[in-house]
Order: sequence, then C-alpha cells, then structure tokens
Amino acid sequence: MSDNLARVSIGIDREAFDTPARERRGFRLVAPAPSRRARPRIFYALTAVAGVAAIIVAQLLLSVGISQGAYEISSLQSSQSELGRTAASVSEDLVRVSSPQSLAANAEGLGMVSNSNPVYLRLSDGAVLGAPASASGSQAGAASLVPNALLTGSTLLAQLPEDVASTKGAVTITSAPVVPAGLAAPTTR
Amino acid sequence: MSVRNSSARKAGARNNPTNSRSSRRRTFFTVVVLFAVIGVFLVRLVDIQVVQADSLTADSVGNRSVGQVVYGSRGEIVDANGVVLAGTVMRYNITMSPVNATPFKRTVDGKKVEVSVADAAAEIGAVTGQTGDAILLTISTALEANAEANFAYIAQKVDVGVLRAVQELHIPWTYSENSPSRVYPNGAVAGNMLGYLSGDGVPQAGLESGQDACLASTNGSETYEKGADGVRIPGSSVTSTAAVDGGDVVTTIDSDLNWFVQQTLAARAQETGAAWATAVVQDAKTGKLLAVADYPSVDPNNVGGTENPEDRGSRAFTQSFEPGSTFKALTAASVLDAGVATLDTGVVSPYRYLPSNGANINDSHSHPDQNMTMTGVLIDSSNTGMSKFGEMLTDQQRYDYMKAFGVGTATETGFPREDGGILHPVDEWDNQTSYATMFGQGLTTTALQVSSIYQTIANDGVRMPVQLVEGCRQADGTMTNVPDATGTRVLSESAANDTSNVLEMVYQKSWVSSKWNIPGYRVAAKTGTAQMPDGKGGYSNGYLVSVSGFAPADDPQYVVSVSIADPVKLNTSAAPAPVFQEIMSQVLKKYRAVPSGATAPDLPSTW
Repeated sequence: MSDNLARVSIGIDREAFDTPARERRGFRLVAPAPSRRARPRIFYALTAVAGVAAIIVAQLLLSVGISQGAYEISSLQSSQSELGRTAASVSEDLVRVSSPQSLAANAEGLGMVSNSNPVYLRLSDGAVLGAPASASGSQAGAASLVPNALLTGSTLLAQLPEDVASTKGAVTITSAPVVPAGLAAPTTR
Repeated sequence: MSVRNSSARKAGARNNPTNSRSSRRRTFFTVVVLFAVIGVFLVRLVDIQVVQADSLTADSVGNRSVGQVVYGSRGEIVDANGVVLAGTVMRYNITMSPVNATPFKRTVDGKKVEVSVADAAAEIGAVTGQTGDAILLTISTALEANAEANFAYIAQKVDVGVLRAVQELHIPWTYSENSPSRVYPNGAVAGNMLGYLSGDGVPQAGLESGQDACLASTNGSETYEKGADGVRIPGSSVTSTAAVDGGDVVTTIDSDLNWFVQQTLAARAQETGAAWATAVVQDAKTGKLLAVADYPSVDPNNVGGTENPEDRGSRAFTQSFEPGSTFKALTAASVLDAGVATLDTGVVSPYRYLPSNGANINDSHSHPDQNMTMTGVLIDSSNTGMSKFGEMLTDQQRYDYMKAFGVGTATETGFPREDGGILHPVDEWDNQTSYATMFGQGLTTTALQVSSIYQTIANDGVRMPVQLVEGCRQADGTMTNVPDATGTRVLSESAANDTSNVLEMVYQKSWVSSKWNIPGYRVAAKTGTAQMPDGKGGYSNGYLVSVSGFAPADDPQYVVSVSIADPVKLNTSAAPAPVFQEIMSQVLKKYRAVPSGATAPDLPSTW
C-alpha cells in the first residue's frame, strides 16, 4: 500500500514541477514594463534621495544645536563654579568675623565692656543679689589670649573710616561712645 | 586519476590547453594571495579586537577623555549650637610647567607685548607674596633636576582671591589645581580638643583623629571626553563615581563659653606664671561637657605657632596628676554613704598623725589638736582629720568607691589617648598609700575625672557618663554613634546631699571664700594643692593648685573644675579661685540659672 502511494505522489510532483517552469519561461517573454511606470520610479528615487538629504541636514542641524548646547553648558558650568567659589569665600569671611575673638575685639573697639560681676534683682521680694558695681572690663578687655590666625590682618570695625563703615551698611557707629584708643588695662583678680 | 581525467576533458572541450593551465595557475596564485592577505588581516583583527582590545581601548579613551577627582567634603565639627569649629574649604595650588616657562605675548590695549619670564615671575610673586627671584629659582631648580620638568608648585593652598589674581595674568605656563583644606573659623577656641590635620589631610590629634571614622569622606571621580577646545563632547560617555561626604561631629561644647573660659584661664595662668592650666565646665545633670579649656591654647589654623608639641593636645584629657585635697570630697562622700559616720561625728585632728600601720600623716601647717566634724576637716582641709574619717572604711571599700566614681578608668568621651590616671589595686598599696589615697595622693586623675566626681555628688549621687560628642550627624540628618547616657548610682541621695552641704560650708568658710564669692547663688566648692612629680619618681617644688565645685548648690546644674600647674608667682589655691568665680558667674549668667532662694544650711565644724 505504501509503495503504491509513493509512486503516485512522485508522479504528481513531476507534473507540478514541470508546469510552472513552462509558465515562467512564458513570463520572461513578456515585453518590458510600459514607459508610464518609469516616471514613478524617478519620483520614488528623488523622494528617497530628498528624504536622505533631509535626514542628513536635520542631523547636521541637530548636532550643531547639541554642540552649541555643549558650549553653553560648558560656559554655564564654569560660571556656576566661579559663583560657587565666590559664595564659599564670602561665607568663609562671614564665619570668620563671627568668631568670638572678632566679636570681642570689635565690641571693645566700639567701647563695650564685659561685666563679670552679675547682679540680680529678685522680683519676689525686690532683693538685690550681689554688689552692683560699674563694669571694670574683665579679662575680655585684655588682649586676646585665644589666638585666631584667620583674623590676622583683619580690620576692626571701629578703625574703619566712618564713611566706609556707613556706606558698607555694617553698623551706624555715629552714636557709639568715642573711646580713646586703648582702654584702661583691666585688673584681673 | 579521476581529477586528471576530468581536467583533460575540460581542457579538450575548450581546445586551448596552454591558456587554461596558466589561467588555473593564476587563479590558484590569486586565491593563495587572497587567503594570505585575508589571513594577515584576520590575525591583525584578532590581535586588535581580542588580544590588545583592553589596552587599546584604554589608550583611545586616554587620548580623548579627561578624568578628574570629585572631592568629597570632610565633615564638620560643630558645637552644641551648630557653630562650625572645624570645616572644609577649597584651596588651590598654583602650579607651572618649568619646561614651558618661556617669554610669551600678551595683548595690552590692543597691542601685543612680549612678557619675559622674569617679568611674569615678578607678577606672580606680587600676587602670591613671593619674590620674583624665588619663582625663577623654583623654575631653574626644577629644570636642573630634570631638563624636561613639566610640573612644579608655585604656591600651595592659596585662597580663591589669589587664584583669580593669578588667572588674570594669563600666563600660559601656569595652572591651578584643587586642594581641599581644613579651616577652624574660631581659631584656638576648643583648638586643643579639635586637633588638626597634616598638610596632606591626615588627622593628627584630638577629635579630628578620634572621630575620623565619622568625618572621613571618600573622593569620587568623573571621566568624560572633551574636544580640542576643552569642551565636553556632547553625548560622550561619562563614567562617574559619586564622592561621599563625611558626617558632621556634633559636640556638646558651647564655643562662646569655651572662648570665655579659655580667655579667663589664660589671663590668670599668665598672671601667676603657670606652666599649664585646664578648666572644665560640665552639665551636672547630663554629664555633658560644656567647655574644656587648655592653657596654652593651640590654634589649629597655625599649629606650628605652638612650639612645644605637648601644648598641642588637650591636657584636660591626657594629663593626669595627683588631685590633692579636691579628692577629699570623694572620701567624705564614701564615708557618709557607707554610714560609718554622720555630719555630727567628731574626730580629733592633730598636726601629725601616726596611725598604727606605720604611716606618717601631717597637715600643711602646724596646729594644736582640734576637735572637728567632717565639715571642719574639709574647711581646714586637714589631712590628719580626713585620715581619721577615711580609716573608718577598709582600703577595699574605699577602692570600690573610687572605681565607682570613675577613678583609674578613662572617661567615656572616647578622646584619643585619653589618660585613665593611675589607681593601683589595693594589694599594691603600702602603708602610706593607704592613707594618702584618702586625700588625693598616691593616685592620679585627669581634670575630667575630678569634674566627674563633683558631677556625681551634684547629681544626687548618680554618675553620668562624661560626654563630649552628641553623635555623628549623617547627610540625611540622622544621628549615629550616639553615646550611651545611662547614669550609675554611686552614692545614696542623702549621702550626696550631705556631702554637697559640707562643700557649701567649705565655700562659705574656706580661706579663699572671699576670692570665689558669687552673690545670689549657693555654691559648693573645694580647693586642692598637690605637689607635682619631678618626672624622676619624686616631687618637684611645683604645685598643682585646683578648685572644683558646682552651683547652684540647692539644685546643682553646673560643675566647674579649674587646675593650674606650677603657678610660680602664686602657688596656692588663691590662683584658681578667682578663675572659678569668673567662670561659674559667666555660666550661671549665660544659662540664666535662677538665683538661689533659701540660705545654705549651717553645719557645725567643731564639737
């Protein structure tokens, strides 16, 4: 049975094989495509070329744009880092002049005196605790014994010319008492 | 055979055997050459793509790309109020290429001007504070060492002002590089505690060294490709490792108070000609250190300005000494806590006391036998009287109390190289040591440990761990490494209060009472005068004089301990007493402590 089927199928195959071969040969003999089909081909080619050109131009423009952006980023980044440096340097100055040594020296320069003799008024009975005495300027009146190398060369507020101090808007020192240079040496006990 | 047959057949078919043969030879030759060429390319391809791939890739990237260090910022050390005590800033090194140091042209007002090397050097020197000759010398030295020298420092660690001024000069052979540095905006305030870094950023001492695990940062890196004009090529690959900033160390110190304490201490130490001095301010209820002052003070911005290397650390932590009479408070508290004596118990204190064990005790000044209570013994600071009380306890009992007070063990601050002091085990005590330890000799303590003893008495007998650091504050604000703050009870509340009352009597009746009087407040304090070791096993002529105490005594909040070593002009406790007064006044004023209402209890000093 299986023998029979095989032969049959081979026969069919041959037939199927031969027929299209003959038909293909027939197609080859057909005349070339009519001329009306040539115009679209050029049109398509032009379209493709134009498309490629457009893409190339667009890409060029894009990369020019990106490069331009890169330069812009670069210059903005460098100005950002410059501004960052300025900010860091200014805040460093601020912290430095906020140090106790600087504050004490400036306060003294303005004629302020530290009082190491606190006196208290007790509200419950009005008692005065401690012996009120005018401030003599305690140890803080002495030269700074707690050095700060960062303050070397910095100018005291009181030593600035008045117009400089006021234009800088730092402190209005016009109403501050005028203290001759060098307070009386404090007596530390 | 079959091949020949077939080729013969083919040749016969084409009818041109000679042409066919040469054509075959040509084909064969072409194929061989082709294969040889392909083989060469293949070998080269494998060599480039596989064998040398990594090194070539690295080379190509190296030619186009720039790598730069992204600096992580070392953490800050801040005080309890957030004031920066140590911070990181960017400084800049000005560098140059000696081999390229040649005259160049500069456009000035539209005209090209030639600038000689000497002129350029002088211009740089005017900015960096050097002489032009010094810079020329740097150039010639570098070129002598190496004729192709391409790198030399002009100035290191300059600030941004100098950097900009140098950049303004537009000298083509100068460059700059970043150099992160450490600044201490408050100078010597707490400088001895903070420590400092070496020139290349390695922590050398103090908190910088002890807290380095918290502070240390990790540098990152960034690599990108740049064009000839130095601008980054868009879309080029960037490989970056993020820098990790260090955490901030939050201390318990108040920088303003610390400055005041240092200033006061230094003034008195200079006045009395002291070798060194320390002062400690501690919160009585929490054990936190509010101020630790050392004289001489070191400015970490200028460590070289402090000549003696020993002055660069903090003696409050690292220097132990025989505390002397301030230690009597501990013995009194131990005796009261053990219940072997009360405030009414009387002893007879002679000038010289010879106990049965063979020791020999005498007081600092000659006096007849006196009938004294514990109050009287402490007011007069009598060694013999204290011995009579101390011997009511066994050596072991007193040793256990001392250990509980923290004597002989470094405190909990974790300060690098903190001294624990010397407290020998009881079985190593000789007869004299057995008595000497009652009044603060034969053992050593640091200023911190003495302060801690008074803190325990002030805090109703509960000793709090001595705390210098609140913790390590991470970038996200969380605190890590927060030290344990669990107190331990050393004395019963009544024993602590009794001791406090006795110390208040000392404050009122001691011979220095006029020198440490703080009106409006009840204060408890005790003086100490101890001989200093000469470093050869004996005693020198110098004394370490000290005052320790706390206030307000009715509700103790602050402990102040002042020690002055070898004040040659005034070697008694009259030297530290005014310092104690000024510091305690300032502390009470600064923290708005309420003046005491009730008057101090009056205890009998004799019987």
